Amino acid sequence: MLEIKNLKASINNKDILKGLNITIKPGELHAIMGPNGSGKSTLANVLSGKNGYEISGELKYQGENLKEIPIEERAQKGIFLAFQYPTEIPGVNTNNFLKTSLNKVKKAKGEKELDTLSFLKLLKEKSSELGIDEKMLSRQLNVGFSGGEKKKNEILQMKILDPNLTILDETDSGLDIDALKTIADGVNSSRDKKKSFLVITHYQRLLNYINPDFVHVLSDGKIIKSGCMELAEELEKKGYKKIN
Amino acid sequence: MIENFKINSSEIDKIKKISKEERNFRINNLNFFNEKGFPNKRQEDWKFSDLREIVQKNFKKLNVNKVNSKVKKINLIKDFDHNYIEVVNGELKSSNFKHEEKNKIKIKNFKNDNFLQESKDNPLICLNHALSDKGYHIEIEENYKFKKALIIYNLFTEDLKENILNSRNKIKIGKSSELHTIDLVINDSKYKFINNVYENIILENNAVYKNICIQNEKNDGYFHKFSKNKLASKSKYSSFIFPSGSKFNKLDLEFNLEGEDSECNLQSASFLNKDDHQEIKTKMNHLAPSCKSYQKVKNVLSSYGKGVYQGKIYVKDIAQKTNAYQLSKALLLSDNSEFNSKPELEIYADDVKCSHGATSGNVDEDSIYYLMTRGLNRKESVKLLIDGFLSEVVDMIKSNSIKKFVRSKLQGQIHGY
Ligand SMILES: Nc1ncnc2c1ncn2[C@@H]1O[C@H](COP(=O)(O)OP(=O)(O)OP(=O)(O)O)[C@@H](O)[C@H]1O
Ligand SMILES: [Mg+2]
Repeated sequence: MLEIKNLKASINNKDILKGLNITIKPGELHAIMGPNGSGKSTLANVLSGKNGYEISGELKYQGENLKEIPIEERAQKGIFLAFQYPTEIPGVNTNNFLKTSLNKVKKAKGEKELDTLSFLKLLKEKSSELGIDEKMLSRQLNVGFSGGEKKKNEILQMKILDPNLTILDETDSGLDIDALKTIADGVNSSRDKKKSFLVITHYQRLLNYINPDFVHVLSDGKIIKSGCMELAEELEKKGYKKIN
Repeated sequence: MIENFKINSSEIDKIKKISKEERNFRINNLNFFNEKGFPNKRQEDWKFSDLREIVQKNFKKLNVNKVNSKVKKINLIKDFDHNYIEVVNGELKSSNFKHEEKNKIKIKNFKNDNFLQESKDNPLICLNHALSDKGYHIEIEENYKFKKALIIYNLFTEDLKENILNSRNKIKIGKSSELHTIDLVINDSKYKFINNVYENIILENNAVYKNICIQNEKNDGYFHKFSKNKLASKSKYSSFIFPSGSKFNKLDLEFNLEGEDSECNLQSASFLNKDDHQEIKTKMNHLAPSCKSYQKVKNVLSSYGKGVYQGKIYVKDIAQKTNAYQLSKALLLSDNSEFNSKPELEIYADDVKCSHGATSGNVDEDSIYYLMTRGLNRKESVKLLIDGFLSEVVDMIKSNSIKKFVRSKLQGQIHGY
């Protein structure tokens, strides 16, 4: 699904990723943990195609060179990033945006676009699964949403767009216990043989719910250790300083 | 090239059945205009919109003659029930108030009966006073609330060619009455022309006036409107305007809040591109205590679009407890688009709440990025953001059917971006 070899990324003359390697196969869920500022969000941004980075190394998604695929096509080909800090977009109606987005992705896949009625049906179903109040969806996109509501809205988009590779950037931060469980359920119910996940998190709690296949520690722009769930438990106990 | 455009007084003799007094008034105003010509940037009020230069650049000649156009049937809007009047090249042609009590409404061709010289500052107003001989005059009796909106269909015919049209309109709403109007411009013209309007709106005590102006088809018209609005005690005025698409458009709006507790709310949303030049100028005169005024002007500008907002708030010494707010926001989509704003506050009372703000900037790159990660390309993302930016004004419209109508008009326009 995703192959990253010796990835280096810098911005404004600051080196952030310094030779990162990771391979994610279809069906796998990888967790990345790491101290603040170690480059986790940068990795997520680079994978989604954000401009402004200077990049070297190999980036392959489903066998294709990711660097050559524009941002919107990555989304259309099934890469989804749930933002650490979802952008507030005044004036843009959330419902409308979700429908536009879904239909863009569907169209690119050669699938039939949804009319308003069937879209609303799908939306109703997915939002009730996540315990999202539909009134929120008639508001402006992310504007005035609480921290948790923003995160839920990201997961709702994941559910609607049904991507192949989902990157969650600290989607669990700032969630109450119930919401955390809801989101974990959302991830678990999306998992299958074909879908892959890259979950960036600071906490073991989410990982307890979603059972990662691999856990990596990212520090100063590199993966310094990889393992499985036990590594997350060890980190929780000892902190990053004692890991190497 | 018309370097020195002058109008012969024989044009005034063509206007039939006028008193000596009226003739003098017209001649005086014609002389003012001929002396000054089209306003240019050396006049403070026109410093961002040099109309003289614009006219010289774009017109070889100007025709003040009356146009006798054959008029096609106007396609009435079917989206919602409404009353209507049809105005062709500024002239009232027909009216239909089928949803209302007819004896509450007076409608006729405008006939001026006020020959006091108010100002010589704006040559276009003088020109209008000199030559206007058409327009509508609507009066609503006291205590009458319109059941349906009144659509004013403003048609410009396809045979207009280098004409300069002058018309004058008046709406007077009696005590405790209410009127909603929708000004709709339908532009069939194929050539350049100038449309110069003088408007007078009077709200008596407790009157309510709500207006929506939609003028958004691409056209070769050069528009100027001076609008003078008088608000008596506890009257409420609100106007949502969506002007754009004209080569030149200047809206010069003056509001006189003369009665206590009167309120004025003005909001505009425009998408200006391909050499459109548009100026909105407002003057809010708070002349009595406890009045409220609110202006919000939003502009999106792309390829060589030029937008101007000049907003002045004046608070007279006796106008205590004034609450006045003004906001201008511009979104610039290209380096060659331009937006100028000049806010002005002149306050002589001490117990007032007055504020103004102006922002202008590019589209937010983080927002574009976010939308693109959801499968929209850059252009689609920008379009969605423009739509969002302008929709904020549309969303303030209360009636759902009218809101939907306005939204579709606006979207059609952005679609071309
Ligand atoms: N545009 C930029 N210009 C300069 N430095 C940047 C820029 N963007 C990020 N950085 C720096 O790069 C480093 C990595 O940032 P990143 O957001 O990837 O960290 P992170 O691992 O996601 O941290 P956190 O756990 O706090 O979310 C930080 O030191 C940050 O300040
Ligand atoms: Mg981060």
